[in-house]
Order: sequence, then structure tokens, then C-alpha cells
Amino acid sequence: MSVFFSWAAGNRWIWSAIGVVVLWGILSVFAESFSLQSLSGVLTSTAFLTMVAIGQMFVVSTGRGNIDLSIPSVVTFSAFVGMSIIQGSVAMVPAGLLAVVVIGAVVGSVNAFLVLRLGIPAIIATLATGYIMATAVLLANQHFSTFAVDPVLKTLTTGKLLGFPVITLVSLVIVAFAAWVLRTRAYGRSLMAVGQNLRAAGLAGVRTDRTIFLAFFTSSVLAAVTGVLLSAYVGGAFLEMGKPYLLQSVGAVVVGGTLIYGGSSTALGTFFGALLLVLIVTTMQIAGLPAGMQDIVQGAVIIGVLALAGDLKAAGRPRRRTTGKEAAGG
Amino acid sequence: MSLSESPRDHRPETATGETGAAHAVPPPGPSAPNVVALEGVTKAYGPTTANRDVGIVLAAGDVLGLVGANGAGKSTLMRILCGVTVPDRGSLAIAGEPVDFQRFSPRHARAQGIRIVHQELSLCTNLSVTENFFLEDARIAGGGPLWHAHYGRRARRSIDRVFPDAGIDVHARVGDLPIGQRQMVEIARAASDPALRLLILDEPTSSLDSERSMQLRRYMEARSGDGVSFVFISHKLGEVVDIASRIAVMRNGEKVWEGDSAETSVSQLVDWMGGDAGRELESHHADAGARGRERAAAAREPLVRIGGDHLRGAGEQALVLHAGEIVGFAGLEGSGQREMLHEVFRQARRGNVQCLGSVGFVSGDRRREGVFPLWSVEENIAVGQTGKRGPLAPLAGRGELGRIDRWLEKLRLDRERLPSPILELSGGNQQKALVARALFADADVILLDDPTRGVDVSVKRDFYDVVRELAEAGKLIIWYSSEDIEFLECDRVLVFSEAAIACELRGEDISEEAIVSSAFSEIVEEATPAAAGAGRARQGQWRQWLFRVAPFLSTMVIFAIIGSMNPMAVSAFGLDLLLGPAVPLVLVAAAQMFVVGGSHIDLGVGAFAGLVNVVSATVLVAHPGPGALALLALVAGYGSLGALIEGRKLPAIVVTLGASFIWLGIGYTLQESPGGSSPAWLSALFSWSLAGVPASVVMIAGAGALAWAVNRSRLGVVLRGFGNNAQALSHMGWSAFTYTVARYVVAGVFGLFAGLSLTAVNTASDINASGSFTLLSVAAVVIGGCRLVGGSVTPVGVVFGALTLSLIGALLGFIGISTDYNASVQGALLIGILALRTLVGQKETAE
Repeated sequence: MSVFFSWAAGNRWIWSAIGVVVLWGILSVFAESFSLQSLSGVLTSTAFLTMVAIGQMFVVSTGRGNIDLSIPSVVTFSAFVGMSIIQGSVAMVPAGLLAVVVIGAVVGSVNAFLVLRLGIPAIIATLATGYIMATAVLLANQHFSTFAVDPVLKTLTTGKLLGFPVITLVSLVIVAFAAWVLRTRAYGRSLMAVGQNLRAAGLAGVRTDRTIFLAFFTSSVLAAVTGVLLSAYVGGAFLEMGKPYLLQSVGAVVVGGTLIYGGSSTALGTFFGALLLVLIVTTMQIAGLPAGMQDIVQGAVIIGVLALAGDLKAAGRPRRRTTGKEAAGG
Repeated sequence: MSLSESPRDHRPETATGETGAAHAVPPPGPSAPNVVALEGVTKAYGPTTANRDVGIVLAAGDVLGLVGANGAGKSTLMRILCGVTVPDRGSLAIAGEPVDFQRFSPRHARAQGIRIVHQELSLCTNLSVTENFFLEDARIAGGGPLWHAHYGRRARRSIDRVFPDAGIDVHARVGDLPIGQRQMVEIARAASDPALRLLILDEPTSSLDSERSMQLRRYMEARSGDGVSFVFISHKLGEVVDIASRIAVMRNGEKVWEGDSAETSVSQLVDWMGGDAGRELESHHADAGARGRERAAAAREPLVRIGGDHLRGAGEQALVLHAGEIVGFAGLEGSGQREMLHEVFRQARRGNVQCLGSVGFVSGDRRREGVFPLWSVEENIAVGQTGKRGPLAPLAGRGELGRIDRWLEKLRLDRERLPSPILELSGGNQQKALVARALFADADVILLDDPTRGVDVSVKRDFYDVVRELAEAGKLIIWYSSEDIEFLECDRVLVFSEAAIACELRGEDISEEAIVSSAFSEIVEEATPAAAGAGRARQGQWRQWLFRVAPFLSTMVIFAIIGSMNPMAVSAFGLDLLLGPAVPLVLVAAAQMFVVGGSHIDLGVGAFAGLVNVVSATVLVAHPGPGALALLALVAGYGSLGALIEGRKLPAIVVTLGASFIWLGIGYTLQESPGGSSPAWLSALFSWSLAGVPASVVMIAGAGALAWAVNRSRLGVVLRGFGNNAQALSHMGWSAFTYTVARYVVAGVFGLFAGLSLTAVNTASDINASGSFTLLSVAAVVIGGCRLVGGSVTPVGVVFGALTLSLIGALLGFIGISTDYNASVQGALLIGILALRTLVGQKETAE
């Protein structure tokens, strides 16, 4: 047992995975309406949340409580822009995708600029860009006319491959790529260094600005791409469609085992975290809980997981604050 | 600091809200016991001995001068005396009563009348002088609203007792005072302790001019006549000889001399401080010196060039440091050595400090500047290489570490330890890993920032050997140390004084005595008061004033524009219409302000106001009793967020974000679609006018006044204190837990008022009505002039910030712009104000 715990300490994704298995088991035994049909619904919802949450994970990894609050506006805005450009025509898909990637790139770069050059705390910076995007969304909404979805994105978001939602495969590819970068590439190492100790990272030669820039950039681009895919899935764009992704993206990251103070992240955990959150929502829906109760439970789960994870963090990192002169004996 | 030290050095303060009980000090009779008797104290940090068998005995009225070079162990000894550090061996008796070190804490030391004035001040810079005196001892003034005046008088009296005619404005923010005046406040505050028995002054005169130093001296003489004892620590040796009745000299953790100050002289003290202790290392160093000189002769390409203002004295040529040299940065701590290391690290190719090679940095402050705590030793070493690579480049494999095998062996860093978590290693071994990191990065110039801090002698010796071999291998080593003896390892030593290089020692001239005496001779006994600092402070005040009136001005500008377009808008009726919707936002912003005052941010306060809105428009209307109880329960629930955040050390942002969903969920559950009605009394509250002034204006003024009053109250002072200097407050005995809960209760109460006002203004409830309030409240707080970190909040500014944001919608309507632009104007305003602050040099982030 202690072998397991010491292994789990380095693989925190296991806890959310266990949560998924347990909840899944309970659902299949007790809920008759939990059919294969709802299973693919769960996987599809998980796919969208996973993509956004992976981006959020990069920003959280930069440490010091950084969170990207502009995600909901980016998701919504790119949904509007993507739908309006593509207009259901396959020929316009590349242009539409390009446009939303540009949106993500611009917002991410602005966020990074505000944080790095103007020294504005990440949550205020992303809050402000979120405001500005909110106006963009309202304007886009005025000119929004189409609900047509082109076949390519339609297949991508609602199609199945061997009974498996295609979009889930897409999200798993993203998870795998993120995990590969985090575990085996220089960027992952730099990101974890920045998140653990920004000063030490700078002194160790890590390019801290570039590292943080890429995190915000990735977050916004992933949110933007998710936005256009989501619009293809639901067959339209509407105000506030990105709203649930704020809490849920942070929730998936935290529940998945990424440290909220940065420096240690797990892409696989984020996937399981997203799956667990979606399963919890599904369970509540099957149980017939009203929407209000569902919100309450989601909020409570995230606070609860944070409170429990506090112990893990305390074990991994000294929290005492003392002056640097302590051991100098001067 | 070293991570290897034992965790019991700092016991967490289990403070309750009160400061320690002040004992009445018995007047010193002829047979009174010694004030403190510290005997046989030994303290080791890992294998380094900071104090070895040191004793200090102070009788009532003694003034002890404590001197020693950097790293001699003075601070450790004083920390033991103040209950911050627990010694390994030794005993302490206060007023004849033995003290159990395991129970001795800074609070106990204070209660016993032992006070210390540090170089790092313990004042809250965001509070006024008066408020800082209040935190010192909250029980003195009775109740009543006049406590401010009481503490103001007390502050003035206390300062005047030590520094007559100091002319310090006791209502000024401490942060606005020049450093010398801050030091005076700090001293006067500690000295005002009625229970004072022993006052430890650590470099008290470093920022005082000669007149103030004289006053302090006279004060010490007077108080010592009353039986108060002093320990006086200073690098200004002449002053020590003048002031102290006795002097103790420390060197390498031991007390090497103690005697009457009349029996000694400055030159004698310098001798003892840099005398013949530590012979063991010295023989090693002598050997090093000889070899170094050979190497210096063969010095090769220039790597670092230092010139301009960094050199003291006219017409001097730029200093050039070459490959293959070991160069020491000596001088008293804080004379600019560290800053110079960081200048070199920037690798500028031009300017006054140029560096032409690649650079590695090894810091002795392992926790803050060195170690990545979640990683293994291996990963900690490898980051030196991978951090520089392209984002998708592979990690340095295990095989690549083989490249520095030779050095790992020289450092005696066991390869078996490479996979272990770095925090499992001793401080010395961690330091070796950091050196290995710089070597793995293959830097031309290696900067050492006090690298042997807190490591034992054998590690030091390995380290010196490696440094020498590195120099032989063609690296330039630049070495700052807080232990002067280490400079004997160097080929050249640059002695810093007041942020510039005062002199250069080479080869045989390098000796500990030479370094000590040149560092000390540079100290001008009469430190100049910081005239430039005063100018800067004035400029800072002007800027602060500008930011303080900015929200007010922006509100007025918006009013002027609206008024010029439609005069009706500024009539009483128009005002009511314009400002009615602003009331809830003003209150939510006030709630947010109290949270920001603790350097937190609340992402749930808007939803909370929405929930109050729902409860008050439904339950409260139907069942006033249970409704009122429910509202109280909500405020209590808000307070419990504070308990969670402080008790579990959770990030406030995520907890409040999670809580926002709970508030929304409860709201939805109570009321699925908008509806309800406003209780009659609540509506009545908002529909009257006072001498033509509409209710909304009065409400806003009232909300502002309430926030102002709470912020200025004793509770508010403590809350702001915690936002600025939580550690100092905990040492004084204030409980962080209690006051974090109090902070969220206060925020909850303002959130409650906000929700009620929503009900009154909208005469109905909608859980989504307040959705935008959370983010707007953050914006209002920032626009209102509050700092997100450091506890500086401005209630009146926040009110006008909220008004500005609230009126932007109306303004856009009047000038014919779609209100769709509302949010983006608000966002742009937020960014613009923060950008402006950065431009004038007030960065929000502490780093």
C-alpha cells in the first residue's frame, strides 16, 4: 500500500482516474438510463472541456496563482467568428480555422504582454481582456445570421470512429502532445521551473518571459479552437456559451492533480479531471437534480479537492517563510 | 537560508488576538537580578556552528556594544535572545528566572520586555505612524471613537521622548516617510513599551544623521539610568566605543573579547574582529593565494568590464576582469555587491557593466534563488542546460550529465543521490547541486552569491578546491561572500562601499585585516541624511495624489459631459435615475476592497450579492424572521471562506470562484426565474429625498462613509496591517486566522448590503442580475487607487471608481454609442490605469 502511495505522489492523475472509475461503476450499476448513448455524450462534453482545460493548465503551471479568466470570452467570440466566416461551406473551413487561431494568438499575446511587460497580475490582465472580448461578442451577436454547419466540422465534432466520438480522439491527441511536451521537452521543464521558483528559474538561465508567453498563448489558442468546434457541435453560437468553461477549466486542472500554485502539472490528470467533472454533472442530471443543485455540487467539489490537496502540497514543498539571512549567522 | 536547519527554529505563532500581558517592571533595586543572563549558547545550522558557547550577561542599565565582522554570529545570538531561534545548548534567565527555550517565542520575549529593532523594519508601510503605534499595543486606549487621537498623542510623545523635535507627522503613512524617519518611528515604538527591560538596536544609526544619533545616545543614557538595558550593534565602531559601557567582540561564532569600552579602541576592535581565529581555514587560504597569483599573471581574455559610476574616485580606468581569475566582491553587507552580481548576470554588451561571456549564477539563498523544490537533484542540475534550449528540444538525458562527472566527483556529490528529491539533501549538498548546475550549463563566467552560506567546513573546502580548478580551467569566478575570510581564496578583491567599488586589493595585499579595515574605514561616521530620498519621496507623493484624485476626476468628467448634453440629467430627479443603479456596485466594490486589502481577490462577491438579492426578495418578504436568519447565515458562510483560505492556505481566487457557483446554485434553487418583490421597508428606504438630495446620492455617500469608517476603525487597521506585513503582526500577537475570518465577514456584510440595495433598486430579484458585479468590483477597486498587493486601500477612491464604471453605460448612451461597448470601455480603462501606474513606476507585482 505504501508503495502505491509513494507512486501516486508522483502520479497525481491517478486520484481523478480512480474517481472516474468509481463513479462510472456506480452509474452503470444503478442508473439504467446511463446507456452507451449517454456515454458518448459524456465523452464529447469531456473532449471540449479537456481542450480548454489543457490551456488553462499551462497558465496555472506558470505559478503565483495565475489563472486565465479570458477563456470564456475567447470561446464565445471565436464561436461567433468561426460560424460567420464558414457559413456552412467546406471551402471556408480553413479560413474560419485560421481566423479563430489568429483571435487566440492575439488575445494570448495581449495577455502575456500585460503580464510580462506591464507587470499586471495575470487575473486582472485576463479579466480586462475578457471585458474587451465581451464587447466583441455582443457586436458579433448583432450580425450573426447563420446556423448552418459545414460537413467537415460536423463530422469532426459529432462523428464516430469505431463507435468512439472523433472529437474525443482529437482531444486525446492534444492531451498526448501536451504530456509529451511537459514530460520530455525543454519547454515543459522550463515551465515547471518558472512555476516552482521564478527567481531561481531566471538565475538558472531559463528564458522565463518566453516560457510564460507561450503558456498564455497556448491557453487562448486552445480556447479559440474549442470555440469554433463547440459551435459546430451545437449548431450555432450564442451569448455566454463559453461561460461554464471558466470554473470547469480551473476545476478540471485542480481535480486532475495539477498544483494550483504552479510547478507541477499533469495533462493526463487534466483529462481525467475533466471527465470526472462531466460525469459528476451527468450523474446529477440522471439523478434529476435541479440546475441550481448542480452548480452547488460543482463548486463544493472544487473547493473540497483544493482543501484536500493542500496536504499533498505541504508534503512536497516547504511553506515556511523566513528571511534569507536566517542561516547566515551574521 | 539553509533548508537543513531544524524546523523548530520558528514555531508558528499560536496567537490569540491580544498582545502579551505587560508585567510591571520592578524598579531595579541594589540586589536586582540580571536583566538577562544568556549562558553557554551553542547553535549549529546543520554542520555550521553559528554560535559556540557564547554567553552574555546584562545587568539593569547596562549598555553592551556588540561588534563583529559579517557572519560572526551576532544576529543568531540576538535571534536566540528574542525567541526567534532555539539554540542547541545553553540557558537563558530573564530577571533571574530560567526560560524554557521550547516555549520561548517572540511574543514571550516581548511580554518579558525584550524588544529588538531590526534593520528590516517591522512597521506596516501602508499604515500611518499613529496606526502603527496602535498595533504595538491595542489595549491602552479605552473604547470610544477617540482612540485615534489617543494613539496620535501617544506616538508623538513617544517619538519626542527619544528624538526631541523630530517633526514627524504622526498621521503620515509610514511608507511616505524618508527611511531615516521610519527608523526613528521604529525605535520610538519599541522604546515606548511600558514593560521594556532590554532594547536591542541592530544597526540603528545606519540611516540616522548625526544629530539624531546624538539624541538616541542621550536617550539611551537616560533610560539606562532608569535601569533599562541596551544591546547596541553597529558597524560604526567609533560610535560603539562612545555609547557602550561594555563591548563584546564576536568572531566566527565565538565571543573573542568582552570588556569595558574604556579599555579598548577602534583599531583594537578591528584587530579582534579580523584577528587570528579560524586559523585552520587560513592556512588553506594562504596556499590558495600563492597559486592564485601565478594564475593571475597568466590571466587571459577579458570577460567583464566595470566602469562609470560604479568606481569611486576620479579618473579611474574601467576595471577589467579576465578569464581564469577569482575576483571577490567584499564590503559590508548591502553595499552594492549583490546588485553588481545581478548587473553582470544581465550580460549587457555595452554600458557601465559589460559581460562578454555566458554566465552561470550560484546563489547561497537556496530556497529563494536556487532550488526547485519539487524536483530531484538530477533535474535541478539539468535545468541549467535545458532552460536555454528551444521549446521542443529534448531534455538533457542522463548520459549528458556524464559530461560533468569529473566535477561531481570533485564536489563529492554522490551519483547515487542524483535521483533523490533535492529537499532530502543537506544544505551543503544542495549547494553542490547548484554549483553543478552552473557547470553543466558550461558558463564562462560563474557568479557566486554568498555560496557557502550555512554549509559546513568540509563542504566549504571541497568548494574552494572546485572554484580554484574552475579558474585554472579558464573560467572567471566572481564571488560575493558574507564571510570575509573567504576572500583569501581570491586573486583580486574589490571592496564595495555605498554602491560603488571603493578600492581594490591584489595578491599579497589580500588579508582579512585589510578587508575589514578598508571596509570599515569607508564608513563615514556621520552618515548623510538622504536628501535625494526626500526629493524622490516628494515626487512619489505627488504621483500618489494624482492617482488618488483620478477616480474623482473621471467621475466628474463623465458628469460634465452628460450634464452638457442633457441638463436634466444633473437635476435631482436625473441624478437619482443615474445613480440608483450605482448603489449596489458601490457596495460590492467596498466588499471587494476589504478582500483586496488582504492581498486577496474575491471572484464570488457579485454572485453573493445576487443570492442576497434573491433571498431578500423571496424568503424575507414571505417570512421576515427566517429570512433575516438566512441572511445572517449567508454572512457567516462568507466568513467561513476566510477560515478555509487561511486555515488551509488555499488560493482565495479559486475558493471564491468555487463559492460563486455555490451562491448561484442556491439562488437558482430558491428562484428559477426572475421575480419576487422588495419588502416594503426596503423600498421605502430608497424612495425619499433629503432637502432635495435624492436617496441614491445619500446611500452612496453613506456606503462610502461606512467603508471609510470601518477601514479607519481598529479592526480596519489590523486588516490593513495583515495585508502589508502579516509576519510582523503575528509576532505582535495578532491572529492571522481570526482576522482573515473577520475580513471575509466584513466583505460579506457589504455584500449583504449590496444585495439588499439590488432588491430595493430593482424591486425584484434575479440571480443573474449581479453577474457582472464581481469583475466590475475588481475594476472599481483598481481604478479607485487600491494596490492589489500590500494592503493599501482607498475607500473614497473605490466609491468613485465604482461610480465611474457605473456611469460609463449612461455616458455611452448620451453620446450615441451602443452600450455594447460598455464592457470594453471598462476593460480598457482598467488596463489603461494599470499601464499608467507601471509607467510611473508602481508595479503591481512584488517581484
